[in-house]
Amino acid sequence: MSAWIVRPAHGEDLDGLQRMARESLVGVTSLQDDRASLERRIERSACSFGSAVAFPGEEEYLFVLEDLASGALLGCAGLQASCGFAQPFYSFRHEVFIHASPAQGIKHKVHALALCHDLGGNTLLKGFHIAASLQDDPAAQLISRARLLFIASQPQRFAAQLVAEMVGCTDEQGQSPFWDAVGRHFFGLDYSAAEALGAFQERTYLAELLPHYPIYVPLLPEQAQDVMGQVHPRACRPYEILLAEGFAGERYIDVYDAGPTLEAETARVRSVADSQRTTLRIDAAGATDDAPAWLVCNEGCASFRALIVNSNWLPERPLTLSAAEADALQLNEGDTLRLVRL
Amino acid sequence: MIIRPVRHADLPSLLALAKSAGSGLTTLPADGKRLAHRVSWAEKTFAGEVERADADYLFVLVDDDEQVVGITGLAGAVGLREPWYNYRVGMTLSASPTLGIYRPIPTLFLVNDLCGLSEVCSLFLRADQRIGSHGKLLSRSRFLFLAEFPQLFSERIIAEMRGVSDEDGKSPFWEGLGRHFFKMPFADADYLTGVGNKAFIAELMPRFPLYVPLLAASAQSVIGQVHAATRPALRLLQNEGFAHRSYVDIFDGGAVIECEARQIRAVRDSQTLVLAIGTPAEPSVEYLIYNRQLAGCRITSAPAHIAAGSLVVSELTARRLRLRAGDPVRAVALSPARAATEENN
Repeated sequence: MSAWIVRPAHGEDLDGLQRMARESLVGVTSLQDDRASLERRIERSACSFGSAVAFPGEEEYLFVLEDLASGALLGCAGLQASCGFAQPFYSFRHEVFIHASPAQGIKHKVHALALCHDLGGNTLLKGFHIAASLQDDPAAQLISRARLLFIASQPQRFAAQLVAEMVGCTDEQGQSPFWDAVGRHFFGLDYSAAEALGAFQERTYLAELLPHYPIYVPLLPEQAQDVMGQVHPRACRPYEILLAEGFAGERYIDVYDAGPTLEAETARVRSVADSQRTTLRIDAAGATDDAPAWLVCNEGCASFRALIVNSNWLPERPLTLSAAEADALQLNEGDTLRLVRL
Repeated sequence: MIIRPVRHADLPSLLALAKSAGSGLTTLPADGKRLAHRVSWAEKTFAGEVERADADYLFVLVDDDEQVVGITGLAGAVGLREPWYNYRVGMTLSASPTLGIYRPIPTLFLVNDLCGLSEVCSLFLRADQRIGSHGKLLSRSRFLFLAEFPQLFSERIIAEMRGVSDEDGKSPFWEGLGRHFFKMPFADADYLTGVGNKAFIAELMPRFPLYVPLLAASAQSVIGQVHAATRPALRLLQNEGFAHRSYVDIFDGGAVIECEARQIRAVRDSQTLVLAIGTPAEPSVEYLIYNRQLAGCRITSAPAHIAAGSLVVSELTARRLRLRAGDPVRAVALSPARAATEENN
């Protein structure tokens, strides 16, 4: 049995979440080192998990990764059922304009970035954080993919398309070359100050400040062009996990730091498409550690739990778990659960 | 020195002049065929055979030996046959009252606003002749012509001033902007427009407005500026009432200056007089003097004074103008009173 569990965040997680917010990269806008805003996020999440929902709306779900032995929080990840539901969700879309002069025998492709809210209405994966010590551990997959299992179990709560914004590149001083070349001129603020706005303000200022005409990429400084669509080195892990899930990010970038925005069709995401339901069997003699690892979750909402187990499970058979594992999942013999290969 | 319409016979010395001008003078490319074409259009223009859209009043400055040392032009209208492009330097406001952010962002808008306006253009004076009042004669003689025939021109007159370029002829504005869209050297693009190939501008230029702060600093800094060599010409026109409002050249970012035709000092202050031959009073005042003819246009600058509706000039001046006492003339002081001292220094 794994040492960690994923569950919905609750009020007592505030200290742990604030510590993670402090450790997280600038650019994880949804995770601000601000007690009041984190408190609001926990409340909103609890409320979302607790409501009966027929279609995606303003719900936001916040999951935490807990060390089962110590109870310490080691990571978190969020879902916004419908981004752009209450506030517009902006992206820069890559555009290619063809500039051709037949008489001169010239045909140029001109790359531009156009402000859009094409991605509004999709479900947004956000606020991913994992303790540095667990970066390369299966725990990173657990916290990132448990959300996807939750989506698989509760499809009516989520949109048909998923998007995820990856943190873009910043330098050692935390400055973003893309922000310095674009956003700074319109906001008059440095990158971290601009990122911080997102957590505290109504986002109408985005409509007021973001450039409405397309930005011609060849006119931007090289450093800014170089980071377009690039992921911050420290954010590579969540990026790789989502790529493996079938996400792709060629069309949109973040308006602040130019990090790629990944997209996937919900039904085709690996954890959704490949996960299966089965029933639980409890047996004191659990599987050996060399058996294949699985991500397992219950199909509850407010009682949602996910963890990693080792099992020689075969399709259409019940899944055998130890009593401790069943207990961690808050499941009894015969209950349904969902699982996918790690 | 005399200003008169260009003639076919001037072609060899015109070509030599164009070659000495180098790139940047888009209206006078050093191309024999193109120049010949232009001269024939100018001859037709002075003969009254073309519409305003095609009118090209091209004058030459010749010495007493009929050697061409400078040119100066007036286009009836720009952009009536093919689009004429400029950037208008406008403003986009990036403002959020709730956040207390208020940022005016200068923005370049590609426009055809100036289509249909008459343009003073093609001014060039051979380097060794940039002395005395030659430059003023070359620049301002056009306004006497304009004052005489306002119906041939628009009510607002523009002048495109050559923008900043470095010793190698590289334009920072072009390097920061046009180069990315044309992917050819400035001189090539400049040449193509000079020889009348303007359609490619529309085909290749960015169509959406451009935020100035996103351009390279070197490109930003020359927007609306003029080449050092053009500053004297700019000052001459400014003293006539021309001012830079909001238009710049799309290639080199040079200022486009403008003035209402009837507000141009040399238009507004010029008088119609009859010629008298005598000895101009001392201290002498330099006048621009024009014989009021269209095809037979002759303009010079010379000391003169006005007495009882007559303009008194020396016999040599009358001979240069090919006028006799009693002939009608239009005249204005060569320099505005307040600028005379400054311009003569």
